Amino acid sequence: MLIKKFDYARWLFVMPAIIVVGLLFVYPFLSSIYFSFTTKNLLSPNYQFVGLDNYRKVLADPDFWNSFFNSLKWTFFSLAGQVLVGFILALAIHRIKRFKWLYRTLLIIPWAFPTIVIAFSWQWILNGVYGYLPNLIVKLGLMNNPPAFFTDSTWAFVCLVGINIWFGAPLIMVNVLSALQTVPQEQFEAARIDGASSWQVFRFITLPHIRVVIGLLVVLRTIWIFNNFDIVYLLTGGGPSNATTTLPIFAYNLGWGTQLLGRSSAVTVLLFLFLLTICLLYFYIIRKWEKESK
Amino acid sequence: MKKILFCSILLISIIIAAGCKSKSESEATESSEEASVESSEELSGDIVMWHSFTQGPRLESIQKTADQFMKDHPKVNIKIETFSWNDFYTKWTTGLNSGNVPDISTALPNQVIEMVNSDALIPLNDTIDKIGKDKFSSNALDEAKVQDNYFSIPLYSHAQVMWVRTDLLEKYNLEVPKTWDQLYEASKKMKEDGVYGVSVPMGTNDFMATRFLNFYVRSAGGSLLTKDYKADLTSKIAQDGIKYWIKMYEEISPKDSLNFNVLQQATLFYQGKTAFDFNSGFHIGGVQANSPQLLNSIEAYPIPKVNESDPDYGIETSNVPLVIWKNSKHADVAKAFLEKLFEEGNYLEFLDATPVGMLPTIDNITDNPAYKENEIRKQFEHAEEVITKAVKEGTAIGYENGPSIQAGIMTNRHIIEEMFQDIISNGTDPMEAAKKAEMKLNDIFETVAVN
Repeated sequence: MLIKKFDYARWLFVMPAIIVVGLLFVYPFLSSIYFSFTTKNLLSPNYQFVGLDNYRKVLADPDFWNSFFNSLKWTFFSLAGQVLVGFILALAIHRIKRFKWLYRTLLIIPWAFPTIVIAFSWQWILNGVYGYLPNLIVKLGLMNNPPAFFTDSTWAFVCLVGINIWFGAPLIMVNVLSALQTVPQEQFEAARIDGASSWQVFRFITLPHIRVVIGLLVVLRTIWIFNNFDIVYLLTGGGPSNATTTLPIFAYNLGWGTQLLGRSSAVTVLLFLFLLTICLLYFYIIRKWEKESK
Repeated sequence: MKKILFCSILLISIIIAAGCKSKSESEATESSEEASVESSEELSGDIVMWHSFTQGPRLESIQKTADQFMKDHPKVNIKIETFSWNDFYTKWTTGLNSGNVPDISTALPNQVIEMVNSDALIPLNDTIDKIGKDKFSSNALDEAKVQDNYFSIPLYSHAQVMWVRTDLLEKYNLEVPKTWDQLYEASKKMKEDGVYGVSVPMGTNDFMATRFLNFYVRSAGGSLLTKDYKADLTSKIAQDGIKYWIKMYEEISPKDSLNFNVLQQATLFYQGKTAFDFNSGFHIGGVQANSPQLLNSIEAYPIPKVNESDPDYGIETSNVPLVIWKNSKHADVAKAFLEKLFEEGNYLEFLDATPVGMLPTIDNITDNPAYKENEIRKQFEHAEEVITKAVKEGTAIGYENGPSIQAGIMTNRHIIEEMFQDIISNGTDPMEAAKKAEMKLNDIFETVAVN
């Protein structure tokens, strides 16, 4: 009979990673779940177990639903814009024969900037008093008064999405460009000999080769955009009048604004459950595509 | 022989006496040195100070005193960290939960009671007694008095007043507004290319809209809190105030002020973009740094009232305090450093970092020739008089009925700012928006507040 010996060395090597992941992910995650069932707040050392009360209050709060729908809109429009712009840029650069590296470098610049720099730069450009763009619009006689980009609810949302597309499209572009370069050239040549139109080439050759990459990018970007906090917080703080308050901003305001950490934790748990559902759906579709391509 | 014997005895006695004296003197000197060494030995340890004096001269003044203190007490190390006032609130509330709070820090007056409520501070009665309790204004001290304990020491005072561009007033041949209606009319007339009469800040990352509403309500003797510490935004005077500032925003203010915080608001005045503004004597330093050519064209006046004949109820005073945190392992060092900051030379130098902006909280400093000699103080003598009067009459926002945690919550949660934005952006009826904000505030009062 063989007795399997416990491999200490293996565990020793893995342990640092387990500890780091445990401290940085598992502990905050479990504590969020725990606090979501309590009256925990930042100012009082004592708190009580209240069961599902926080969830009930959060789900009955119209501001939560407003933030939820804002998050959906913010994610959908940002993602659609990023994929569309990134895809078009990648296709364009793929066709360029000379100085491809230069265009690629120039277009990736927005992605290279720290968010804080991007936020302050755009705030300066769009500021209704000193801003370059609003004053240019007035000087050109297009409007009598400087447009209030961050003060009008609709404009504020449009500006945020626009800035996010400008910021995120380069990542999509670089990845799609890499995927495009892996498509076998002989398939294009064969299609052209067979008389396929440009659309048919794109639909039946290019797209099937790169859709898994795009699918994975969409999964990652959905999570990142839905959870995005910094760019929204720095540009509008969720205002005006909660018009740009997404769920992470709502959770932050509950936890650090009103100090109701228990209720804020309930929001983050709901956010996690929602994203988990979306990701499972995405992965189901990607697995299906992978099977099809095999 | 007897004479020789007498002289010898006398000489020996003198020598012995001299010896004894010199011995006792040297003993005294030694014991004093020992005491000094002991006192140096008594004070040892690393302490952390958080403060929000981010501007150069104030920062340097505090650092200089800390350096001197460390020189006097070589075993002491003081690490100073600075944060903006807004960051500071997040920093201490989160730090309190993780045990990451400093030994000593500045605080905003209406946050001190929240800190006390969280059992985060130690009483400073002994330190106050050492500095001299009688020297302090009792109003300033009482802001952090809970039962018989004082939990903070006011470092400096300032009050909100109305700042006016006198050159623009002259240009338009206008008098200094004394009522809110006069301010509206004057602001309307003074709106010209590139200059706004007044800016109405409502950003949800600060408490400026709460402050502006409080100006209006307090000027008529009202309060944003009821006597039983409930939010009161639906009273007639509060509703009049809300409607007044909405009108001012819509007709006069730059539209971006909907998102302004204190610095963005002040910057407009510093750069000559607004004819009127509300702030303390800190505006002098801001204008001096940004637009020195305007320094002769600004002056401070009392905040307008609803009716000119209304009595002076007092509006908003800030007695910015220092506190010592319960988590401190070297509270003795922190207290000794706190005393050092109040030593006359250090204190005068600190006040001189922002003349007229920071008014002393201890008596007799203003009589000191070194205090009076400052050029800015001489130039802005009238402004200092107006602010000093306002300091004596006013309180922190919501402290009209005494210090309360509810006042801090009302000021720091920005729910009133959300209410203003809701009215402007969504066209919500002011009464409906006020009821919603009142409910939100009272909900938090019940959850967090322990009276």
